[in-house]
Amino acid sequence: MKFLFFTGKGGVGKSTVAAAWGRQISRQARVLVQSLDPAHNLGDIFGVTADSGRKKISETLTIEEVDLRKLSREYLERETRVLGETYRYLQVLNLDNYFSVLKYSPGIEEYALLTSIERTLNAQTGFDYVIFDTPPTGLTLRFLALPSVTLTWIDRLIRIRETILEKRYTIGKIRRPMKAGETPAEERLAYDPGEDAILERLRALRENYNRLNGLLRGADCSVVLVFNPDLLSLRESCRLAEGLAELRLPLRLLVNNKVTERNRETAERVEQALRKAAPGVPVERVPLSEALYEGRETVLYRIENDIGERF
Amino acid sequence: MKLSPISLLREFLIRLGDHHRESAAALTAVEARELENIFALLVLGSFIGLPAPPTFLAVELLPFMEREIRILNIRAEDAGDMLAEMCGMLGIDG
Repeated sequence: MKFLFFTGKGGVGKSTVAAAWGRQISRQARVLVQSLDPAHNLGDIFGVTADSGRKKISETLTIEEVDLRKLSREYLERETRVLGETYRYLQVLNLDNYFSVLKYSPGIEEYALLTSIERTLNAQTGFDYVIFDTPPTGLTLRFLALPSVTLTWIDRLIRIRETILEKRYTIGKIRRPMKAGETPAEERLAYDPGEDAILERLRALRENYNRLNGLLRGADCSVVLVFNPDLLSLRESCRLAEGLAELRLPLRLLVNNKVTERNRETAERVEQALRKAAPGVPVERVPLSEALYEGRETVLYRIENDIGERF
Repeated sequence: MKLSPISLLREFLIRLGDHHRESAAALTAVEARELENIFALLVLGSFIGLPAPPTFLAVELLPFMEREIRILNIRAEDAGDMLAEMCGMLGIDG
């Protein structure tokens, strides 16, 4: 299964280009186009209502609008339940409800996004291509950086945890073994890595994020950067290209969208600047379609023809 | 029950051995406790303004960290009397 991320500044036409691309590839393969943007318009592009669910456009093309708020809520409910079970005694005092404040924690939205991508990648969904229409730059970079950032933390925490267990093991070895019925003067702590719940959880998380990072940096993943011929879009696209390079994520194509006769000169300048920011990455130009009012089919058809086949 | 001199001697030697073992383990125990404190501080550092790991990582580990939070609490309470803490660690109680 191959997967593509369509990224770029808000309003550059990521969803439309992703939709056109998805439709073109769906002539030869089974495609899922998934919108991760909190402001969905994938359904509008195809003229259907996909309200937070999957919708089949044709035999080989399916679209999905992911409800991020629902995902965040589900994740927090799960975690709050585990907390509530661990600190069950708080239920006596009716204090367990206070854990619900966790839903205001920063970073939960990015985590929900990543969870959604992970779920799609892991599920044997029967698609040959999965196209992700991502939210605007800031959030996209943050959630794409999440596996690397988290892995750095997890590695460090695992090292500390292992040292703690080594120390406990040393203490256990120095102290003589307990006789039957004897009560220890001090609490005897587990030192076997298999018995330490925290280390086990950390190791499971590390394995998970390593696999996800491998997938994101692998040969089957491609990032497409969509931009417009204007300076604001250029600045943000340069930042995005730099961010992607830093995270070692494979930027494979630049799409210069909404090019007209009037802005052709700016389009060229913007392209040149972006070629410097992302050397060796090919650029495709997509003219501005005036046909929006004639019907959605025309827009998608034109973009499909302009971009051609690449993946 | 009356103990024979030999069992009394054995008991005395076991207790003496325990005492030496405890002294030998004490410093490592302090080190282990401090490491647990650091671990808790790193995971829950945002409470006191330290750079913290991504929130969800702290949330994932929180259910298993009762002991660490307890140590963190005790260490915070003892932080005001570091001299006593050091004396206790070095076995100075006179």
